[in-house]
Amino acid sequence: MGSSARKKKEKKKDFQKAKLKVGKTKAKPDNFTDTSFKAKSIVVNQQSLTTSAPSSSSQFAHYLSLASSSRSDTQRRDALSYLTTQLSSAPVNRPLPLPTSILLPKLLPLILDGSSSVRAQLLKFLRLLPVSDIGDRAESALLYTRAGMTHLAAEIRVDALAILEWLLEVAKEDVVSCPGGWVKTLKSFMSMMGWASSSGSSKWTSTSKASFGKAGKAFPRQLLILAQFLKAGLVESEEIREVKIGGMFPLVDVEKHMIPTRSNAFAHLNLFGSSRDEEGEMYIDREDRQRVFQKLFQPAVEAGMANAKKEAGEAGRAAAVLAKVLKEGMADYSDVNDTQ
Amino acid sequence: MGKKRVGALEKVDADLPNLQYKIRRDPKSYSEDFLNQYGQYQSQRDIFLASPTTATSTGIVSFRDLIDFVAHVADCFPSDTTSFPSDLKTILTLHHASLESELREKIVGSLVLLRRKEIIDSAELLNTLFPILVATPSKTLRTLLFQKILSDLRTSNAKSVNHRLNKTIQTALFNLLTSDRASAKGIWAVKITRELWKRQIWTDSKAVEIMKEAALADNEKVIGGGVRFFLGGDKEREELEDDSSDEEAGIDIGKLKHQAGINKKSRKTKKSLEEAVKKVKKTEKKKNQPHPLNFSALHLLHDPQGFAETLFSKHLQNSKSKLNLEQKLLVLQLVSRLVGLHKLTVISLYSYFIKYLTPRQPSVTTFLACLAQATHSLVPPDALEPLVQKIANEFVSEASASEVASAGLNAIREICVRQPLAMNDTLLQDLVMYRKSKDKGTMMAAKGLLSLYREVGADLLKKRDRGKTATMGIKSGSIKERRFGEEEVGGIEGLELLEEWKAEERKRKRAEKGLPELGTDEEDDEDSDEEEQRGWENWDAESDASSDSGGWINVESDAEIEISDSEDEKPAAKKVKFDTTATKSEPETPAANEEDEKENADKDQALEQKISKLATTKILTPADLAKLQELRLQASVSKITGKNSKSHNQRLKELADRHADDPLTAEQIEGLSMLRKSTREEKIALAREGKGERGEHKSTQALRRQKKDAEGKSTTNKEKARKKNFMMTLGKAKFKQKRSLTQTRRVLKGHIERSKRGGKRGNVGM
Repeated sequence: MGSSARKKKEKKKDFQKAKLKVGKTKAKPDNFTDTSFKAKSIVVNQQSLTTSAPSSSSQFAHYLSLASSSRSDTQRRDALSYLTTQLSSAPVNRPLPLPTSILLPKLLPLILDGSSSVRAQLLKFLRLLPVSDIGDRAESALLYTRAGMTHLAAEIRVDALAILEWLLEVAKEDVVSCPGGWVKTLKSFMSMMGWASSSGSSKWTSTSKASFGKAGKAFPRQLLILAQFLKAGLVESEEIREVKIGGMFPLVDVEKHMIPTRSNAFAHLNLFGSSRDEEGEMYIDREDRQRVFQKLFQPAVEAGMANAKKEAGEAGRAAAVLAKVLKEGMADYSDVNDTQ
Repeated sequence: MGKKRVGALEKVDADLPNLQYKIRRDPKSYSEDFLNQYGQYQSQRDIFLASPTTATSTGIVSFRDLIDFVAHVADCFPSDTTSFPSDLKTILTLHHASLESELREKIVGSLVLLRRKEIIDSAELLNTLFPILVATPSKTLRTLLFQKILSDLRTSNAKSVNHRLNKTIQTALFNLLTSDRASAKGIWAVKITRELWKRQIWTDSKAVEIMKEAALADNEKVIGGGVRFFLGGDKEREELEDDSSDEEAGIDIGKLKHQAGINKKSRKTKKSLEEAVKKVKKTEKKKNQPHPLNFSALHLLHDPQGFAETLFSKHLQNSKSKLNLEQKLLVLQLVSRLVGLHKLTVISLYSYFIKYLTPRQPSVTTFLACLAQATHSLVPPDALEPLVQKIANEFVSEASASEVASAGLNAIREICVRQPLAMNDTLLQDLVMYRKSKDKGTMMAAKGLLSLYREVGADLLKKRDRGKTATMGIKSGSIKERRFGEEEVGGIEGLELLEEWKAEERKRKRAEKGLPELGTDEEDDEDSDEEEQRGWENWDAESDASSDSGGWINVESDAEIEISDSEDEKPAAKKVKFDTTATKSEPETPAANEEDEKENADKDQALEQKISKLATTKILTPADLAKLQELRLQASVSKITGKNSKSHNQRLKELADRHADDPLTAEQIEGLSMLRKSTREEKIALAREGKGERGEHKSTQALRRQKKDAEGKSTTNKEKARKKNFMMTLGKAKFKQKRSLTQTRRVLKGHIERSKRGGKRGNVGM
């Protein structure tokens, strides 16, 4: 409480309104800070002084780095779309401005990108890459794809499936036989679809509160791609079967004694790397894959498949496709087991 | 369209903290969610391990967050996360140099968290962190690791001493030091050991052994660390203990309870009050616990002779040693401390001093102090005599500056206190003449020397300088010349005084009770038991400086013998042991003189009679020991009669206060000459010391008011009246003049009544 007229006056002062006058500039507020400054010269930091436009290859590299490391979503997407048009508009037999071995490691992390438009654009770009180059880099691509498949965000999971689909299209054999490609990918499928079970869980069933596995609309699609993946891993391709059946009769398993056509033929021996466990191992033979699948995943897959069949509708149909693939793939497994 | 029900994770993408909270509440239901996240962690880990340097954690959920999440809930899913700790360890050990700093810190933090959840044990954690601490080039990581290692060692030793862990870590540190003596990595061993020593977590000889190795290293930094530890580690430890005991007294429970009664009641305040009560109880408990007995590092050394010799020959005598003067001085201080404390024999040490004993030598006072410190009664006088002579020649002369002369005299005195035989009569008589000097410092130093030799070697002095007591002593034969290596015969000095005092006390007590002065033996025993118990209790109270007497370990008369094994009692036990051995060896010493055997036999008996049986029959309590010290001082004071007995008393007190383990410093050598040098600023600072901060000049009244305002206290009526607006008082003042007599009477009556009632409203409650 102010005890005197003077104090009252002092208090009033705070709430007085400034009078505006015609023809004069408005009074500056109390807390006005003068931010003007004087400079003798202005230096432009990034001024390009070249007369010629940058070459297309350097521009390509620039956009590549933008796409891989820019902070803004739109910039990444635009850079990617620039790269896509560059590739698609180029004549068919002209080599890539940069080799795939440089492009892929830079762009693969974008599978986990937060923006959906970037991921869609990335898939478009990847489809333009030469098919023959992908096979050798399937392992690193799968690393990111798996991370995408188990990602928290549902959209990223869906898009990662699209990437896997593309990988299966272009490098089927490599995807299932590269180190970790079979077991680890199947594991991420299991956790994505909610079919995984904790190794330490008790026998009590608890109603899962997990929101992760229930993918809703995406579920049939997941089933279909799992079917594709299993088909690639478990079902013998047509040519091999032909060879086997038709075969030059006295010669058995000829292709196994030929000079291998694939690169790094002895990679599965893992002569130089650190030792791998069951998950990270390479499963080159179909029989190996069948064995591991049967041991680790078949019960879970069949249980999940049965549930999905009951759902009917789209999911049921997809489950039927899966069942067919499974039957086909595992048909000759038991007799293989007998002969051993 | 109905509202779509959405799960928590769909609502907010990547809400790991939320999921973590849910998992902690109900792990089973969310195990699937956890497995998904764990799978995500695994794939991120694979990406990271494929290319540790280029992998950037962009995207919504970074690798770092996933690690944090898994570490927090790992204890809920032990079987699923068995590989998690080892993953983190491999990432850290292999890639710590190239990791992004935040991720690195997160991994370290997660490992510590796993340790706290007891998923991994301390040894595992420390074995991971320690090699990185030594190897990493990053300073921030080093400080983080150092802090984490220390805190982990502290927590694992908090409840009880974890001997196994301590042993493994100590061995690791020891190996670090001994494996490569020239490397600077040993500094971490030194730092860790020193810190743990300071906090009294490591108090054993193994820690001292580590520091010994550090002091014998080849790297200057490591040497410095090790040597400094021996010179200052124990002091640091004591200081920390004092600080912590000061801190604990801070909480005022009464005030807190009062506040809790008044302020808004919430769960938080309740909890904080409970915590405070718990803390106070804990400190009370701690106070009542027996005081842990900590030996100083110098006493825990295994082989002081070998240590001192190697230190001296490796760092000081060796012409190839790269230490500078300051570091050399540190090493010299340590060597001389060891020699003085343990009475070691390192003969070459004394000749080493010769070339440094000139007034022009930088920090010569420290050299002098070291020399004095390295002197003890078993040093041959031949080794010391040239040194004393040199000090006298170089420092003490009419031509030299007064500070120099006083420092020289002080040094000579300190040497001669420890070995009086290092002096010859001509030199002494020469030096004593300086007591006529005009300079106060020199005069005091010379007088000190004089009074010293009146006690220890009066026959070296001129007759007129000897003084009354010394002259009489020589005449009567009670003062005899001490020979080299001669030890005083007898038990504990002043023990008979204690016995006398005890008997007197007992008499007094019996008189109080109204019993005859001489009791039976049984009664005496009872009394003494009682007394003994009280003695232990007293000690407890004294050492804790608190008035409340808690439960000390009860000393029952039956358990007396067993208890002497317990740690808490070692000082007394040690004393007793010493005493018994002394009395046992008693007959042997004289037996050396075979000629006078018969004569001696009589004498021995007399001696044995004289030596009190108190120490051999009873265990002295700490209270007894304190009393003994007091009596001893009293006796020595009363022996000296005369006018300057007061100053002498003071000197004796000072001597008693100075512990035998305390080092001799350069300041003591410099003596008085330093005292006068204080500048005006220093004097002002000294005067200001202890007075509170006074921000501005104000009256005491105003200061008091300010303090009350700060505490939120109300003003008095007087203060209110003083502050009242003048205009408001005007009306009353004007009216006062116009009052009629009746009005005045009424007012006065009202005043009296109010004062009786105790104010306007009165004390209603009365």
